Amino acid sequence: MRFRAKIVDLACLNHFSRVINTIAKLAKTCTLRLTVNKLYFILSDRVANGGVSMWCELCQGNFFDEFQMEGVAADHNEIYLELMPENLSRALKTAQNAKAVKIKLTNKHSPCLKVAVELPSLSSSSRIVTHDIPVRVIPRRLWNDFREPVVPDFDVSIYLPVLKTMKSIVERMKNLSNYIVIEANLSGEMNLKIETDVVSVTTHFKDLGNPPWASEDGCQSSAQGRDLQSMAEVRIDIKKLQQLLVGQQVNPTKALCTGLVP
Amino acid sequence: MLSPTPSFLLEKRGKYLTFPLKLFWRKLRGATCFPVDLKCISSCFVSLAVFGRAVHAMARVSDEFCFDPIDKGLALRSVNSSRSAYAYVFFSSMFFQHYCCTAAPQPCQKERQLSLACKLIIKSVLPIFRCVNMLERHVEKCNIYTNAKDHHITFQLLCRNGIVKTHNLAFQECDPLQAVFAKHLCPNVLRAHSRLLADIMVHFPTSQEEVTLSVTPTRVCFKSYTEENTDFPKTMVTEIQLNPDEFDFFQVGVDSEVTFCLRELRGLLAFSEATSVSVSIHFDTPGKPVAFSIEDVVLEASFILATLSDSRSEMASQEPACFSQMQESSKTCTDKSIDKDGGAEAAASKKPRWNRQAQNTVSGAPASPLAKQVRSVPTVSYRDTAGTGGTAATKADDRAVLEAESPYHKVRTLPITFTFYDRTVTYLRWHLEAAHYTQSQSSEVISPHVLFHISHSCDLHFPVPFVVLWSSFF
Repeated sequence: MRFRAKIVDLACLNHFSRVINTIAKLAKTCTLRLTVNKLYFILSDRVANGGVSMWCELCQGNFFDEFQMEGVAADHNEIYLELMPENLSRALKTAQNAKAVKIKLTNKHSPCLKVAVELPSLSSSSRIVTHDIPVRVIPRRLWNDFREPVVPDFDVSIYLPVLKTMKSIVERMKNLSNYIVIEANLSGEMNLKIETDVVSVTTHFKDLGNPPWASEDGCQSSAQGRDLQSMAEVRIDIKKLQQLLVGQQVNPTKALCTGLVP
Repeated sequence: MLSPTPSFLLEKRGKYLTFPLKLFWRKLRGATCFPVDLKCISSCFVSLAVFGRAVHAMARVSDEFCFDPIDKGLALRSVNSSRSAYAYVFFSSMFFQHYCCTAAPQPCQKERQLSLACKLIIKSVLPIFRCVNMLERHVEKCNIYTNAKDHHITFQLLCRNGIVKTHNLAFQECDPLQAVFAKHLCPNVLRAHSRLLADIMVHFPTSQEEVTLSVTPTRVCFKSYTEENTDFPKTMVTEIQLNPDEFDFFQVGVDSEVTFCLRELRGLLAFSEATSVSVSIHFDTPGKPVAFSIEDVVLEASFILATLSDSRSEMASQEPACFSQMQESSKTCTDKSIDKDGGAEAAASKKPRWNRQAQNTVSGAPASPLAKQVRSVPTVSYRDTAGTGGTAATKADDRAVLEAESPYHKVRTLPITFTFYDRTVTYLRWHLEAAHYTQSQSSEVISPHVLFHISHSCDLHFPVPFVVLWSSFF
């Protein structure tokens, strides 16, 4: 089992740090899955109890200059590690003007992800900052827990408005109620509603656009035959939604929200 | 058998017993009038921010600090509760626009020193200087004056737009404590701009308690220290490696690794950044304190922190500076317990003549049976001359040998250093160790040994002939 990677480009490093920071805000521990071409950050809380489940897929070529991975076995050429993304985020925080960042999986006394940052310095040789992040190797028998979640059949799928706007609205609504209702339809309209005994507040968004989903096997998904104007609504815990929005540091090109009404 | 003191030696200056204003009242012996009537007016700092940062730095060390005005300037001192950190900042009178410290001794008191040290609670002072940035912008002038009769120190901030903020703080008179630590005797000295140190410390999380600094002549390394089991670590370990070139001044006489508390140090680092003066680090072997100091025309500050003693010893207790032991055991090893000035004389009595040939005699083991039992003879590898820069690897090795092989339940080392005066060799030092121990296994008492180690730093550029005199009894 071997893993080494190197980032040399500052923009890539910056982007990677921001992704890690986002993940660090969402979860205390998460799973890092390494394959030959991709990195995945996975958090699979049991969705039933309203937890946050996260699946983050990164293409290694977009970030790393060098990437070498040898998995646990030839036929299972992957590595699953459990780590605290907060540690990784901290390690990269002070590396923003680094000459190079090398990440390596080591096992001196115990498995660690060693992040070695080479910083420029006034003297001839550079400063080297090494961070040893303790990790736990997840055995193969548990790999099934981390399968990619399937996007379920949905009723409505809509592009979100600018996340910053949404974040500030949700933050104010958080003070008034514990649950928020998100309503959306296939005409690009979305409402965020809260209702209490004393007050009810609704924010309307228009012209958001709906992403086209090609249906598989040609069969009609439940969204197909839907009336364009009718709203599908879901009620979620506002704190969890806010946690998700607060953590967003990467400016997404598109953010989608898909809702399935039970 | 003398046991080491649990903290570095603190010297008490003067004795004051008087009325603190808070909870406990200590009775004055005899007279009821106050010893001095002190007026100390200091106003309008050259830089309020610097003073504010000094208070913040003190706050990191302890909950209370000693505000000690003397003729030459104002000293702030604080010691933490476990006596493992001592902070001292001295502002000379030139730092202030106007500084006046007068004392009028009352007739009823005779031998009183003319200074009044006041102990203040940090919590009361800190709010005054809380937001240092605001201080510079809004406050035009700051007056500080004390009046012993009232037991108050008044901080008066004259702000913009005619606003005057007056803070009257009650104080408690205190015995000013001073740490005795001879920086000039430290074999390892580093000096760097505060910016460099800040850049290094930024890599450690703010919750990081302890940091280890390890030096060899070619490399400097700061590493986070944890007491965890290394087999199942939970916390991240950070290590920073630097080239000695990055330091303005770099002298390593002894390869060593000292572990000290980072939290207490951060205060000094913030303070030194405000003053933008270089920070000097003086240290020795693990167990001996490390001193971080800055020095300027108008101010001076030092933070003396205890370090963890060598992990090979059982208790990782925080060891003292050996000076207290030096004084106590001077009775037993009289001639050898010399400080720098006495050194010349005592050295004269047993004057080691510097003769390189005699070096060979040292490598052979002395006839003494003691040496066999105790340790292998330190092979003094004096490297030939010019600029090859001998390291004190020898010394470090010997130390290792000392500690590893010693079966004795108490070894007290007594570092005494004296500089040889005949030569203008600033970096060559004798390092005498007088070890006083008893052997636990056998009944016989072994008398003290004197070991001569030679350590020299990298900067030795010219040959110095010398003789090593070996003596097993004295």
